[in-house]
Amino acid sequence: MVGYLLRRLGASVLMIVLVSMLIFVVLRLLPGDPTITRFGQQEGIDPRTIAAMRAQLGLNDPIIVQYWHWVTGIVVHGDLGRSYFSQFAVGTLIAQRLGPTLELSVAGLFLAVVFAVVLAVLPTILRGRWWSRLVGTYTTIGLSAPPFVFGIVFVALFSVKLGWLPDRGYVSPSADLGGNLRLLVLPAVTLGLALSAPLIRYLRASLADVETSSFVRTATGKGITRSSVVFGHVLPNGLLPALTSLGVSVGAVLGGAVVVEYVFAWPGLGSLIVDSVFKRDYAVLQSTVLLLATVFVLVNLLVDILYGVLDPRLRVSGDRR
Amino acid sequence: MTASSPPVLLEEPPALPEDSGPGLLRRYLTRPPVIAALVVIGVLVIMAVIAPWVLHSPTALDVPDRFAPPSGAHPFGTDELGRDLLSRVAYAGRLSLGIAFGATVFAMVLGTVWGMAAAARGGWVDEVLMRIAEAGMAIPIILFALVFVAAFGADLVAMTLITGFLMSFLTARIARSAVLSELKSEYVHGLTAVGVPRMRILFGEVLPNTLPSLLAQSSLNLATSVMLEATLSFVGLGVQPPAASWGTMLQNGYSHLYESIWYPLMPALVIVLAIAALNTLGSELQVVLHRSAS
Repeated sequence: MVGYLLRRLGASVLMIVLVSMLIFVVLRLLPGDPTITRFGQQEGIDPRTIAAMRAQLGLNDPIIVQYWHWVTGIVVHGDLGRSYFSQFAVGTLIAQRLGPTLELSVAGLFLAVVFAVVLAVLPTILRGRWWSRLVGTYTTIGLSAPPFVFGIVFVALFSVKLGWLPDRGYVSPSADLGGNLRLLVLPAVTLGLALSAPLIRYLRASLADVETSSFVRTATGKGITRSSVVFGHVLPNGLLPALTSLGVSVGAVLGGAVVVEYVFAWPGLGSLIVDSVFKRDYAVLQSTVLLLATVFVLVNLLVDILYGVLDPRLRVSGDRR
Repeated sequence: MTASSPPVLLEEPPALPEDSGPGLLRRYLTRPPVIAALVVIGVLVIMAVIAPWVLHSPTALDVPDRFAPPSGAHPFGTDELGRDLLSRVAYAGRLSLGIAFGATVFAMVLGTVWGMAAAARGGWVDEVLMRIAEAGMAIPIILFALVFVAAFGADLVAMTLITGFLMSFLTARIARSAVLSELKSEYVHGLTAVGVPRMRILFGEVLPNTLPSLLAQSSLNLATSVMLEATLSFVGLGVQPPAASWGTMLQNGYSHLYESIWYPLMPALVIVLAIAALNTLGSELQVVLHRSAS
């Protein structure tokens, strides 16, 4: 077990290091100058000022040195750098946006699991062809629509047409809890629906697997009711393997939230990333993306470990792929 | 997988007509979802090509009739300048599908070379190449896409290459496993034994045999690039106006939502249809290939 844990941990750390290198190198491949971000397009700036600024920001160092400063800054001092644009510490900027993103992600993920379990289990219980087809169609659409497209449809329907819910914006829950929740509904449902599609597909496959297994046949054969078979035998065994796809969903929630936040003017990390791309604010961009990447890799590690705990066979073989 | 499959009995006639090229293709093309998907893609491509001659001009203004709902004259309605949305959606397909196609070709070439190099060389080369590919797939594709767009800008060539590069990670992994399973097969051992050069085996024999699974992946890649283009253009970091793609139309439509809810819904519908059709083509091909393999 310890060997398994160490192997997974090592692989995850390696992954994060590689991702950080990729982000860092890509953002410095072009000769573009971040000092331009600071000074804007102003005319007549003394070249010496720019040179001083470059030196101060460490932009004259070799790329390896710059990378080393960035990484040691994060790991040793917990310092994510400073925005080229606003001069704020990146850590502060992220801290401001973390709350809204967490709120939206947790709500979205929760709804996704609820939608997925209900929709995947319904055809199993009702055993209707049409239910199965309906859910299948829903999954195909859900897998094909970019997450934010649901958002546009919902705003068109519930805000513009029906006027039931506000279309976009954010108020902090401590200022106005009711308003916060009303504004949360549409983005959270959007994210939840988008994430539920892959979950449903995985769940249904896993339920179908269990459905044909011999112990379910035995259970049915000994004459207990259909609902006892489903709730007592099929679901407990079928839901467990779907755990892995939940790890993938957390990644999807991070990716999906980026644009869903943009659609609903939700001031989270996703909008921070989009903003920093517009402003070419590499300092903010690289640290924020790395943070999300780290969360994603760690969640997958956690799921892997959980999976190993629940299914001892994996500890031996080490790699389930 | 190959190791555990039962040995073929000599009495059994080889199942060539069913499992190889033509039989496989026929079985694929007669599946109802495939037919439906091909119709959708066909219509979108044809519309993109012939839009300016058959439909309203995508640039013809009709300001008094702006934000019109769908009608006989304008089946998709009109936009903020009274331009016909159907013809604009059709026309925008040129950019959206063009970028997707370019990106997919790039991903296919790069990914195949990448995966093949990893599979053929093995050892530390394989290890390094695949670790890089895994790192590329370690985080959601949209995050990397935003980083790349920040670095390289969002002109059409850059977008095509960025999208293609980001999809090449997964393509490389698919190519690697396809090549590996071919390399284990009897005919490769046979050709090696009679002294055929390895490069010729790889490019002349192995590569053609991996094409079907690479094609299936390419269809999924097309879907991914349509989605990525729409996403980037929607947030304003993709195709730049006045050029029009499905993503920019979505963005324009969303900002005029209160004038006409049809404006964003129509490009949205087309995007979802296109991605669904491309996903279907890819996954159905995978199903057919999987069945013929087992």
